[in-house]
Amino acid sequence: MTHLSDESVIELVMGEGGASDLEHADACEACARRVELCRGALALLQRADVPEPSPLYWEALRSGVRQRIADDKRRASAWTLLVPLAAAAALVFVLWSGGAKPPAAVAPSLPAWSPLPVAEEDDGLRVLEGLALTADADTDWDEPEGLSAYVADLTDEDSRTLAETLRGQGGES
Amino acid sequence: MTSSAIALPLGLASKSAPGGEAGLERDAERAAIAACRRGEREAFDALVARYQRPIYRLCYRYVNNHEDANDLSQDAFLKAWRAIASFRGDSAFSTWLYRIAVNACLNHRALKRPLTQELPEVLVDPRPGAEAEAERGDEARRVRAAVSRLPDRQRATLILKIYHDLTHEEVAEILGSSVGTVKANLFHALANLRRQMGATGEARS
Repeated sequence: MTHLSDESVIELVMGEGGASDLEHADACEACARRVELCRGALALLQRADVPEPSPLYWEALRSGVRQRIADDKRRASAWTLLVPLAAAAALVFVLWSGGAKPPAAVAPSLPAWSPLPVAEEDDGLRVLEGLALTADADTDWDEPEGLSAYVADLTDEDSRTLAETLRGQGGES
Repeated sequence: MTSSAIALPLGLASKSAPGGEAGLERDAERAAIAACRRGEREAFDALVARYQRPIYRLCYRYVNNHEDANDLSQDAFLKAWRAIASFRGDSAFSTWLYRIAVNACLNHRALKRPLTQELPEVLVDPRPGAEAEAERGDEARRVRAAVSRLPDRQRATLILKIYHDLTHEEVAEILGSSVGTVKANLFHALANLRRQMGATGEARS
């Protein structure tokens, strides 16, 4: 025999049960006991009402609710002021801390002009050194005006050409 | 409609069909809710006046003392005020409000353990019949204490179904469960309560 479910017992206790459940409860001692258990609890509950507060209490309750709503609104207003202020403070801080950062590394700028490295094996240089020594030794020799500047401006290729020309002239003389 | 024109009757919301006095009550309630959504606090005051008694009693049955019941009732109404803009009217306002109150009670219980207990009355009343009355009061206190010791879901189901006379469907909606679960929880709540009272020799069926 299948006993009544908990739900069916409650339906019987509440007067909502079907005829078949009622018949079962009449015939089944175990289910009848469960129904009586619940009815006994209901009887106890009906004798345990909540103490009624003073009639003045209800106005106090409403007043308390009004107060809480007013406090809540005040708090919310404070937040609406504080949030933009906090945002502004955060923005100022971010800007300030960004300015204090070390400057980003900048690639060193190359000078517009840089001297070419001196070639170690440049015959022209030795010729020019020889000329300079000759010039120092020969006091009668006057350096033509602008010669030093001209020589300094020569490219390697021109220096080499000049050296070969001078070497050829030296061989002839 | 101005908020000052809203006057709601006290007591539980009527469950009768629309039309007649109940229909007028519902219209007034709808108007009050609409006014609340516009921010009119006086309209909310009228709703509080209407539901304060059932909400207070619900909270009292949960916490079993006046101070916490008062605090929880105010808390539930404050939460309702904050959330009233989100109330769509899919369920009855009373169902929505009960749900808020039940959640407030459950949160309170989770935060505040062990249970607060009512203090027994020790003063002797010299009036005739006072002894029997005191005995009944004593029994009522023990039953309330036994209810407050039930597991959360069973207690909520029992309070809403037995003391607030809600339908199984309404209780299920408030607690977010099925009708079958509500009935099963109610059965276990009643059986547990009866056993608790019986175990201490206090049952009188």
